[in-house]
Amino acid sequence: MSAWYLATVLALGAAPANEDESRSWTVFADKVYTAAGDPLDGGTVEVSNGKISAVSPGGSAGDAKLSVAAVTPGLIDLSARIHGGTQSVEQASETIAHLSTLDGLDRFVEDWNRQARNGVTCVMASTYDDAVIGGLSIALKTAGGDALAERIVKTDVALRAAMGQQPSQRNHPAAGRPTDFFSRRPTTRMGVEWTLRDRFFEAAYSKQDAARAFPGSDVLLSVLAGERPIAMQAWSTQDIRTAIFWKEEMEREGFGRPKLILDAAAEAWKEPELLARSGAAVVLPPHPAQGRTGEGSFMALDTAKLLFELGVPFALSGHNAIEKSSQLALQPGYAMRGGLPFDAALQAVTITPARMIGIEKRVGSIEVGKDADLVLWNGKPFEATSRVVGVLVDGRLILDPRAQSTEQGEAK
Amino acid sequence: MLLNTVRNAALRSTFTVLAFAVTAAVALAQDRIAIKAGRIITQSGPEIQNGVIVIENGRITAIGADVKVPWDVTVIDGSKMTAMPGFVEAHSFRGMDRPNENVDVAPFLSVRDSIDPIAFYFEECLRYGITTINIQQGNNCVVGGQGLVVKPFGLTIEEMLVRPDAGLKLSATPKFGFSSATQAQALRNAFGELRRHLEQLVADAKDGKDRARREALFQGRDLEGEKGKGKPMAGSAWKVDGLELVARGEVDQKQEPLLDLVEGKLNAYFYCGRAMDVRTALEVARENGFLARTTLVVDGSCWKAAAQIAEAGVPIILGAPLVVIERDPITGKESEVFAPAKFQEKGVRIAFSSSNSTTESLWFQAATAVANGWPREKALEAVTKNPAEFLGLGKRVGSLEVGKDGNVVLCSGDPLSITSTVQYVVIEGKQVYDRSKDIRVKSLVEGKLPAGTTPMGGDAEAGHVHDDGCGTIGHTDAQDEKKDEKKEDKKDGDEKKGDGR
Repeated sequence: MSAWYLATVLALGAAPANEDESRSWTVFADKVYTAAGDPLDGGTVEVSNGKISAVSPGGSAGDAKLSVAAVTPGLIDLSARIHGGTQSVEQASETIAHLSTLDGLDRFVEDWNRQARNGVTCVMASTYDDAVIGGLSIALKTAGGDALAERIVKTDVALRAAMGQQPSQRNHPAAGRPTDFFSRRPTTRMGVEWTLRDRFFEAAYSKQDAARAFPGSDVLLSVLAGERPIAMQAWSTQDIRTAIFWKEEMEREGFGRPKLILDAAAEAWKEPELLARSGAAVVLPPHPAQGRTGEGSFMALDTAKLLFELGVPFALSGHNAIEKSSQLALQPGYAMRGGLPFDAALQAVTITPARMIGIEKRVGSIEVGKDADLVLWNGKPFEATSRVVGVLVDGRLILDPRAQSTEQGEAK
Repeated sequence: MLLNTVRNAALRSTFTVLAFAVTAAVALAQDRIAIKAGRIITQSGPEIQNGVIVIENGRITAIGADVKVPWDVTVIDGSKMTAMPGFVEAHSFRGMDRPNENVDVAPFLSVRDSIDPIAFYFEECLRYGITTINIQQGNNCVVGGQGLVVKPFGLTIEEMLVRPDAGLKLSATPKFGFSSATQAQALRNAFGELRRHLEQLVADAKDGKDRARREALFQGRDLEGEKGKGKPMAGSAWKVDGLELVARGEVDQKQEPLLDLVEGKLNAYFYCGRAMDVRTALEVARENGFLARTTLVVDGSCWKAAAQIAEAGVPIILGAPLVVIERDPITGKESEVFAPAKFQEKGVRIAFSSSNSTTESLWFQAATAVANGWPREKALEAVTKNPAEFLGLGKRVGSLEVGKDGNVVLCSGDPLSITSTVQYVVIEGKQVYDRSKDIRVKSLVEGKLPAGTTPMGGDAEAGHVHDDGCGTIGHTDAQDEKKDEKKEDKKDGDEKKGDGR
């Protein structure tokens, strides 16, 4: 991993010290939603060398290079699900905590561009959930430099895990049939839970008994120590309970205080008190039209509102949807339909997910010194009547709002 | 056109039923209803602030800001809401037990026999403010059955019926297992069959072989009514001479609807899933003389044939999604096209359809058009006025004005806002939906059902129900698992394409 860090440092170091024209902009918007305090009614965001250099009220459309109806921070998706699918996940073991998602990422799939042009500027990439403990996730930009290294915001931001059916779905026991690659366990939901607990107990005991260490046990220890969160897929209520009970067990045993992020926690609304008590954070899956979503779970429309009222930190996600109606840019809208206030909805796709994985110093809000990741809108953000017309990633203009108006053609 | 159809004996019975239904409705609906609304989007003039709509016997009798609420009417108080005409779904194949038959050419079928009045779809329509639906057979056909225009309310087809002769479904896109060439051939052959059949009848008549007629003459009776009369073939594209020699009752019932189409008594809804299908559809319609009565049901990707469509002068029903994603076959790079703009450039008349989707229901389609630069009024027209016109119901639905059907939707806010919800729906003067009493909305929003209600979407016996507190929603795991798998597979496939390999 250090090689990547080095590459990043080198890439940044190689950037010219003088003003980089292509990464410096003046953006004027009728509304500037900073996600750090009240929105500005008519404001200017100055971008120089890929960073936000000034945010000020006032200014005018005439002086700005880019002028739009509204600007928000770039959207952040902790459950973007851009991975190579089943091909990208190591099947040799159910616990592959020592592997990094980075090594399995294809920077050239179109998914990155699709995310970027729809306003998602930063994602957490994780392995496909075919393993119980899936590997180290990485935070990276969806656009920007050509080299993957240039896009990395932070490596090893979280450990990926999955409860429920998915990790065991393709497994079957060897009994009664010829042993093949898929003859592996666990084969049930209970087995998945056992694998998780077993590995964490082993890792914890390896502190005293080095012989019990295994590849990745150091990563598990770092999770127990709270150094990085564990992002665990848990769609339905029993998976959420499993995850929370695991967390509480680890604390009871004195192994540490793991930071738990429940990913795709559609049924978080079912036992809100348990959730609030646990101190876990939540990433909600895309809003389903008729409530029913992954692994048979049911997500009520007011889930986000409920979490907000309980003070549970939560983020929204887009799951790499191709249809506009399911993408991240509209998710805050659906949450608002369920009663969530606008400001909370904005935070759930910007600063909150950034905080969850510890990258809030670089991204997640419009503040001086932060990366110039901006989304430009032609109307009120997150409304179906508005569209992402411009996107800046690290000050680079990925989608040009000036080209948009002519290309799409105004109605005559 | 409407009256012409009466001549068709098969449809005449429908009208009788309809007439009865109307009489019954009139007898019952002596009560009047008034709707107070903070804002009324009329679609027939400027918006009205703090107005009143009075509906009597199913029709709007007064609308305006200065209209007084009569003392003896039921009042729906929407003074903090926005009223608008109900959305018109221009083409849908939901609400039926199965959208398609296994028969390639099946103009003799009617969706009448397939619509399930208690289908969940109709309930969903009310929830999203759709008050008129053109139900047509699915797209997986060569010549499909006859459609109906219905309202999503009523326990029988007769109650739901708005227009019985909604037209015939055809498809230029290959049916499952067909190639484009087979499909085009099958389309042409359907009309060829008809022609051969008619010619045979004429030849038989000339040979004195029309037994039914001779028998009737011999017995001294006329063949029943219209069907007994021979008359020359109408329609301009092609004619079978001597058809007047043949009693219309002789025409094979399986072929009759196609003859109606050719003779100008039925409209056609012609599906084109790809731009290349447009040519086939237009050609078949032109060859058989029903181009002027054709509406194309198109996918967004058909924008590449916009010029052809404009030249033919036919309107289109444009399905979701309106923003089409196109992939470069070499680089795999995606680009987005807002299809309505391309059609509009060429002057094509457009109605949006939700393509049976709930996530992309008609409000969402109109909102998408606004997001892509269309003025609101125009976007709303594409889901109200325009489809109403294409369905031949321009004088009945699609806008709020005196004399039109009392189809009113009351929204909590702006109808195109993502945070707005439909609060009340009134169809022909009857309040048919009240969100505060919608049990399922409660479960969708809060996930809770009133005690004692069966959990939705899952059968407590067959499926797995979470036993975690009374009244919460359970589900069947097995069904959803399958769905998830499919979705996952599809995604994987897409990703591979995205690689451009």
